Amino acid sequence: MQEEYKKGILDRLADFLVIALGSFINIFKRDWKKKNKSKMEEWRLMLYALNRSPPGLIGVFLVLVFIFFGVFGPRLAPWPYNYFPFFDNGTAYLAPPGTQVYLPSHETIMSLHLGADHYGRDLLSLLLAGARTSFVISIVVIVLGVPLGILLGLIAGYYGGKTDELVMRITDMFLAFPALILAIALSAVLPNRLQAFISSHAHLQSFVLWLFGLHMREAGNLGRLLSVILAMIIVWWPAYARITRGSTLTEKENLYVEAARAIGLSSWTIMFKHILPNIIGPILVYITLDFGSVILMEAGLSFLGLGATPPIADWGRIVYDGTQFFPKAWWLIIYPGLVVMLVALGWNLLGDTLRDILDPKTRRSIEFKVKKTKKMEEKEGEENA
Amino acid sequence: MRRMPEPILEVRDLTVHFYTYAGIVKAIERVSFDVYKGETFALVGETGCGKSVTSRALTQLIESPGRIVGGKVIYHSDKGPIDLLKLSEEEIREIRGKEIAYIFQDPHASLDPLYQVGYQIAEAMVVHNTVKDLKEGLQRALSILKRVLIPDPESRIKNYPHEMSGGMKQRVVIGTGLTNNPKVLIADEPTTALDVTVQAQILDLMNKLKRDYNTTLILITHNMGVVAEMADRIAVMYAGKIAEIGTAEQIFKNPLHPYTQGLLKAVPNPMKRIERLDAIPGTVPNLITPPSGCRFHPRCPFAKDICKQKVPELKEIEDGHFVACHLY
Amino acid sequence: MKLEPILQVRNLKKYFPVKGLFFTKGHVKAVDDISFEIRRGETFGLVGESGCGKTTTGRTILRLIEPTDGEVIFQGKNIMELKGDEMKWFRRKAQIMFQDPYSSLNPRQTVFEVIMEPVRFHGIHVDDPEEFVIKLLESVGLNEMHLYRYPHEFSGGQRQRIALARLLALRPEFIVLDEPTSALDVSVQANILNTLKDIQREFGFTYLFISHDLGVVKYMSHRMGVMYLGKLVEVGPSDEIFEKPLHPYTQLLLSAIPVPDPELAKELKAKRMKVEGEPPSPINPPSGCRFHPRCPFAKDICKKQEPPLMEAEKDHYVACWLYSKA
Repeated sequence: MQEEYKKGILDRLADFLVIALGSFINIFKRDWKKKNKSKMEEWRLMLYALNRSPPGLIGVFLVLVFIFFGVFGPRLAPWPYNYFPFFDNGTAYLAPPGTQVYLPSHETIMSLHLGADHYGRDLLSLLLAGARTSFVISIVVIVLGVPLGILLGLIAGYYGGKTDELVMRITDMFLAFPALILAIALSAVLPNRLQAFISSHAHLQSFVLWLFGLHMREAGNLGRLLSVILAMIIVWWPAYARITRGSTLTEKENLYVEAARAIGLSSWTIMFKHILPNIIGPILVYITLDFGSVILMEAGLSFLGLGATPPIADWGRIVYDGTQFFPKAWWLIIYPGLVVMLVALGWNLLGDTLRDILDPKTRRSIEFKVKKTKKMEEKEGEENA
Repeated sequence: MRRMPEPILEVRDLTVHFYTYAGIVKAIERVSFDVYKGETFALVGETGCGKSVTSRALTQLIESPGRIVGGKVIYHSDKGPIDLLKLSEEEIREIRGKEIAYIFQDPHASLDPLYQVGYQIAEAMVVHNTVKDLKEGLQRALSILKRVLIPDPESRIKNYPHEMSGGMKQRVVIGTGLTNNPKVLIADEPTTALDVTVQAQILDLMNKLKRDYNTTLILITHNMGVVAEMADRIAVMYAGKIAEIGTAEQIFKNPLHPYTQGLLKAVPNPMKRIERLDAIPGTVPNLITPPSGCRFHPRCPFAKDICKQKVPELKEIEDGHFVACHLY
Repeated sequence: MKLEPILQVRNLKKYFPVKGLFFTKGHVKAVDDISFEIRRGETFGLVGESGCGKTTTGRTILRLIEPTDGEVIFQGKNIMELKGDEMKWFRRKAQIMFQDPYSSLNPRQTVFEVIMEPVRFHGIHVDDPEEFVIKLLESVGLNEMHLYRYPHEFSGGQRQRIALARLLALRPEFIVLDEPTSALDVSVQANILNTLKDIQREFGFTYLFISHDLGVVKYMSHRMGVMYLGKLVEVGPSDEIFEKPLHPYTQLLLSAIPVPDPELAKELKAKRMKVEGEPPSPINPPSGCRFHPRCPFAKDICKKQEPPLMEAEKDHYVACWLYSKA
């Protein structure tokens, strides 16, 4: 009935990672390792749980690959996104995958492994550069949108009464609009103002350009890019306000919240130190799933012609431009579509697995199996001796 | 002194395991006891000792991940003895509810909040084919409410469960359990959710009904007071095993098992002045990896070497007084 | 010997609104005008059936719930008027222990954090926090092995001990014990009750012990109060109340307890008061004395006029017209 738990290579890697991380923190905080034995054990069991879930591992792999290219993509791209080979050599125009094109001005041959777009740009390079765009946008939207939602949800759920009514009615107003339509409307309205704003703040402008891995020349296009981000933040927080409020309402019924009040702790301390850590699990799962959703929505908006403008490399935009040449230049649709799909799939697999890992039951069951196996191994060892 | 009692249930080596995510929970191991016709038999013990599981296993009421692993439950029906554990799902359903009825702890959960109580009782009877139609069922429901002494039954029958108090609901549940004049009534903590004054009323009612209908009552409880008041014979359970069986007098006046002794000393008696309670040290063991030998040995003040090694068997020390302990 | 009061409750009221679809339909009078005092170093037991308002009383006294009306005087200060630092002082001096050990500890905090949090918040200076926490754990029957563990690694009884250690860390003077052992098994309950008694003797705490279990209250308390439907019906020394209950409700309550002794049980059962019915709803309590519809001795006056709490015997108060001298 009971399966044993045999440690594989990944589990040993997990052991190593946890110990390494623990030792690392220990350098800065004295006795951290000793005080957090239980915590490290939980981490270890979480990693074990992950190791036992092939979809989870695939998810982790896809996400890690995405993050890697999100960070290093523009640098790894063989050709810059804003170089148009078409002007050098007409044959680069919509060159199919596998074509070699000679570029007289560079005196080199460009190998187009995945084909080229209508400017003759290497699709592989565009996809690599586009990874950065997606990566930055998804992070910015989550990092700014989610905490706002969590904060409002906590306040509404904890204080209840009139505060709750006010916050939640506003949230409802946002939720009542279909998110995509609202985002479309906002990204149509916002660009000019944002452009004016960003142009008048030089430091901010160069920072944003650096963030997206863009050339100075694209400064004029930032307004539209930022408008999509802002639009998505605005449609993103209400969902978090709602789930956080729900969890807060349940969680604050727990007596430890009342115990904290009896000690005299302030509402803010109780909200952030006591309630939040206990409801963050499901929210984390949501966030992970939403990374995929943000990327999909951003690609969708770009596909509709909003957001990133050429020549900025953007997966959705590549597909949008590619539609004019479909089915002749199929690669302009198939490859970016595949990439978006894999990334979204990765985040979703990871999110679903996270749900299992964060469930204490899964961990207890693994803990039991590990202990049992260990006991059996010890017994065998004794017998051998 | 005792006339030869006639058993109605003979439980032998009943074993139930739960296959959970954390491992096999040995909820009850080789539990054996007899229940005699017409008596009140109490199964006593603390949380997780297996008393509820035992009572449910009698009619195969064990749901996944639990499984009855072994044992026999001989039921002496009018037609002769049958092993309840060998019956098919259909056959056991015939017995459950008709000959062996249950009352559970939480009256709120036993009634459907969406239907009037009268309708619920009537419908159950229609389903069990005890009445022809709903109309007859409602008439029977009315007589049931009268039987369990609910005031103003004619209007109460139209009440929804939320319009009734906890005690009233438990009366309805008891009434429903008794609809088919069962031979055995198994009451699992019937008064735990109720206040003391209401508890007293319900216990009185159960005693009265038991006398009126000559039912055998199996009472499952953790409350030593309720046991003292109700039971003729008592089985004390600890960690999935029977520790001691005897008449109420034997158990309370001459407890043999160290656990029974400890349990009795740990209950504050409201009628006596006690300076200090004797507590049992330690905690109830985890039933995934129960202690070897006697399961009580880690907490037992008299534990010897043998207690760690050998599982004690039930031995008859005096007439009808059994104990599973190496001290005897 | 009469000890000085540490806490006085005066005319405390707490009404909870019952919300209808649009308007408030009425009020649950959970606590309706009760007054009593708790003396330094004693255990005051508060008993009653579910819904009688005993738990609400305990929380209102600590101002975890704001009362509708009334005063609670703690060491000469009306705590309903305290603000800022004075409130912080009160939070340190008065603590509460809850019924449910499974939800009263934050699952994300280690035992060390659970215990140190109040200490740090109140700015209590501790030389060696680890040493300090270990000492506390030892005083409630745990040890240093448990220091950095999480609540899920403990049993119900052990969790109650951790909760107890958290209280002790602040060195309070007054502790509300809200059914601290109701969720525990008898063998564990006895352990916790003994520990509570021991630390009371050691540190001189004053307890308000709320429970529905009369056996436990009898074991723990010096004086006790009996509540019925938001009202205090009897207050007096526990031994006296158990021996000679005055209020018919107290008599009913005491005669209804099942006693863990078959012979005594038979005896008591024969004498048991036969009272039909159950406590009515606290939304629309009966007029006059709230117990009159169930009271076998009810007179006319009981239906009309509410009996005040009167001293029937020395230090023994009862709210019942049977004992009215008038």
